[in-house]
Amino acid sequence: MLILKTLAKSGESHGFEIANSIQQNSVNVLQVEEGSLYPALQRMLLKGWVTARWGVTAGNRRARYYQLTEGGREQLDRELAQYRRVNLAIEQVLQAA
Amino acid sequence: MNWLKEMGRRVIYLFQRRRLDEDLAEEMRLHVELRAAEHREGGASGPDAEAAAIKRFGNATRLTETSHEAWGWGWLDSLAQDWRYGWRTLRSSPGFTLTALLSLALGIGANTAVFSIMNAVMLKSLPVEDPQRLVRVRSGGNGVFTNPQWEEIRNHQQAFSGMLAYGNTRFDLAMGGESQPARGMFASGDFFRVLGVPALLGRVFTSEDDRRGGGESGPVAVISHRFWETHFHGDTNIIGKTFHLNRLSFQIIGITPAWFTGLEVDTAYDIAIPLGCKSLMDSDVDVLAHRSYWWLCVLARLPAGATPQQAATRLNILAPEIMRATLPGGWDGDGKAEYLRRLFDLQPAATGFSGIATDYRQALFTLMAVTALVLLIACANIANLMLARAAARQREITIRLAIGAGRRRLIRQLLAESLLLALLGIPGGLLLAHWGAKLLVSLIATSGNPLEFSVSPDLSVFAFTTTMAIATGFLFGLAPALLATRVAPNEVLKKGGHGGHGRSRFRLGQALVAGQIALSLLLLVGAGLFIATLRNLGQVPAGFRSQNVLLLEINTQGLVPKEARNQLYNGMLERFRAIPGVDSAASVALPPLIYGVWNETVEPEGYPGKPGQDTLLYFNQVSSDYLKTLGTPLLYGRDFDSRDTLSSPKTMIITETAARNFFRATNPIGKTITVEGSKKRYEIIGVIADVKYRHLRESTLPVGYTDMAQEPDPWPSMNFAVRAGRGGASVIPALRAAVEQTNPALSVEFRDFELQVRETMRQERMIAMLSAFFGGLALLLAIIGLYGVTSYAVAQRQGEIGIRMALGARRAAVVSLVLRDVIRILLMGGLVGSIAAIASGRLIASLLYGIRPTDPATLIISIMVLGVATLVAGYLPARRAARLNPMAALREQ
Repeated sequence: MLILKTLAKSGESHGFEIANSIQQNSVNVLQVEEGSLYPALQRMLLKGWVTARWGVTAGNRRARYYQLTEGGREQLDRELAQYRRVNLAIEQVLQAA
Repeated sequence: MNWLKEMGRRVIYLFQRRRLDEDLAEEMRLHVELRAAEHREGGASGPDAEAAAIKRFGNATRLTETSHEAWGWGWLDSLAQDWRYGWRTLRSSPGFTLTALLSLALGIGANTAVFSIMNAVMLKSLPVEDPQRLVRVRSGGNGVFTNPQWEEIRNHQQAFSGMLAYGNTRFDLAMGGESQPARGMFASGDFFRVLGVPALLGRVFTSEDDRRGGGESGPVAVISHRFWETHFHGDTNIIGKTFHLNRLSFQIIGITPAWFTGLEVDTAYDIAIPLGCKSLMDSDVDVLAHRSYWWLCVLARLPAGATPQQAATRLNILAPEIMRATLPGGWDGDGKAEYLRRLFDLQPAATGFSGIATDYRQALFTLMAVTALVLLIACANIANLMLARAAARQREITIRLAIGAGRRRLIRQLLAESLLLALLGIPGGLLLAHWGAKLLVSLIATSGNPLEFSVSPDLSVFAFTTTMAIATGFLFGLAPALLATRVAPNEVLKKGGHGGHGRSRFRLGQALVAGQIALSLLLLVGAGLFIATLRNLGQVPAGFRSQNVLLLEINTQGLVPKEARNQLYNGMLERFRAIPGVDSAASVALPPLIYGVWNETVEPEGYPGKPGQDTLLYFNQVSSDYLKTLGTPLLYGRDFDSRDTLSSPKTMIITETAARNFFRATNPIGKTITVEGSKKRYEIIGVIADVKYRHLRESTLPVGYTDMAQEPDPWPSMNFAVRAGRGGASVIPALRAAVEQTNPALSVEFRDFELQVRETMRQERMIAMLSAFFGGLALLLAIIGLYGVTSYAVAQRQGEIGIRMALGARRAAVVSLVLRDVIRILLMGGLVGSIAAIASGRLIASLLYGIRPTDPATLIISIMVLGVATLVAGYLPARRAARLNPMAALREQ
């Protein structure tokens, strides 16, 4: 969800940028093993949620840029809706208590 | 749809994994380097920055693997590993692999050979347009039609999109002398159009050519590709040329493509001519107008969307009208009523027609069962070998289990090995099948009926073989694999590789061998029964001696008018008898066992019952000296002689059975027999021994011979039998010269009567030979299995035997100790096999002659053969055990 959201915001980024973006936007709260990003990206490629193309970075290095597809956008909406539902439920339970 | 796209992407990933791997690696490298650069900017030293970046990134190898799993081909990776490992283990024990491959190839090859014949004659579709929509139209007893019937159906039916009729025949290509037969077909004009067979060169004939006596182009012929190549050497200028069939000139208008060989699967056609041209070839009767000349096979093409049932219903509305219009002359009473009630029924015709499929159906299924049993035995043998090998690899397997290999994975690996073995058996199997099928075809084929179907493996044969190989792989691999991995690692390792589940493995081995023995016994009993059948048929009193008898068929080809034929045949007989080396010669209408049937209901003089089925007499017409030539004993009365002429009272010689059936205890000589329909009356002048009429297997029929010399209406062709003491072949040139001197335009064909008689037993001979071969093979495999399992037992019990001997056990005691197990296996297998043999005997009863399927002698002999063979196989390792040096054996423990 986070990857999809990041891509939805930035339009097109490579792995490193995605990792950085997630980290910064979460104010360094979410710090995962950075590499696990890549298997996740592979899965998304297979599912057809993102597409990839090879491009060149600002530092003139070859990098793979990922882009959200229509299917990915739908998936993001689905996941966001699901997350909000769960989040709301948790909030309500916490407030009740 | 989404999952489909995902599947597509997965497949693409499968084929581009190298590039994808590189991409992924590069991407990850970039990430780590960028992060390291970031750290450096933050002030860290080079190596520290890199280490920190790598630490933060995580385990790259594991991540790569996780990505691979995401691609979804992880199982393929490990499968490929299994296969590679299996390949290596097979290569490391070539002896085992070769033995296993050989027995597998034999089993698979034998099965595939039989299957490819069944496939060719029963399963394969004709190579014509949309064969599934072809149906055969049948009516009456044997399903064939008269030409008037065919014309009525063709002209009135609306149930089909097309119909065709054809009748098989033989044409003589020669202009005289020894005939050059070619397989011919009278085909209706629409024949090629309905089948969708185009001409390779020239044109095929059409309804325009199918007129009485030929169409506008005159008598035309279409020839097969093979005939074009063998007879005209593929000359492309042949179109428009003429050639001669039965002395008549025909114009060749077209050649069919090589893939079309006619509608009969096992005999390819040479020449097809329009049905209407038949009238050119008939001299005595007009077959095309004849209402009781049943000879045409009719096929139809179902229109799109129609089911056979619908078409049959539509066609049957016309049936009463068609039958009324074609009622054969002279039929009345029950016969007429039955004829008028006849309906049509439809049969699928996609696979074409095959005499072999009809005659050999049961034989082929029996063979299939036999070869399947052989394959089972081979499987059991390989399973046994695998078991022994599993014992040898016990340590390896145990260690792998101990260091954490999954049992399922190990089983999968062992199975991969057996599957690999099975698949490796396929090429050998196919090769053997190729030879085997050719051998089978040559066993079925006869001089008069060469078989020309293609047994080259096609897709369905290949699918059959592969499926079978995989099934056998599981069959012989699963049990050993399960057993081998069911170990407690701790115990085995403690025992230093010995022990484990040796006992249960040994039990399984014993059970497998017992199963092999049971199956072998089944096959041996079968072989014994089939051999006895063949022997019985060879010894059956046929009423004639076929040795040194030559048959000649003379065809006048419409060149000799009826009135002149008697004189011609008599003259020829005189010439034959005058040839030095010819002991005797006679003419005969229907040479026994080869030709058709001619029977009529008769009214014997003084017969108490009502004539009917009980007084059906089988007729033949022969000249004087026929009895002498064939060696049929005359029991009393006399042979035909010069007293019997066209003008004298008609005479008849009957067989013993006919005499007993019709005249009971009274003397039949001088009594008369009257034919029911024609009221022809014959006086009995002699009684002969019973003769076989159509089959050696038939129960004795009542037969009557009438005199050729009293026949006012001789047929346009005639058979002669010639006995030559020095063998028939020695007098052929003289006979041929005699025919030529009589009339050079006559056609003549020679056949060895003994060979013909033998060929009537070809099915029995084939089954006897093959079942004996497979029975022997099964026995051999069972012996090898028993030897192996006993040797293994001896090796396992070395210590025990050593102790027994050290304590004073005699050699004989040791031998009997080992043999006790062998005998137990033998008894178990023998018992199961006997029960199976008795139970399944019913299935082959109709293939046997003169022996019951439960014949005790055959069973006992088979058990004895099996017993002796297995005891020898068991004795060898037992003797080795008895020669064991106790000290050496114990030291090894």
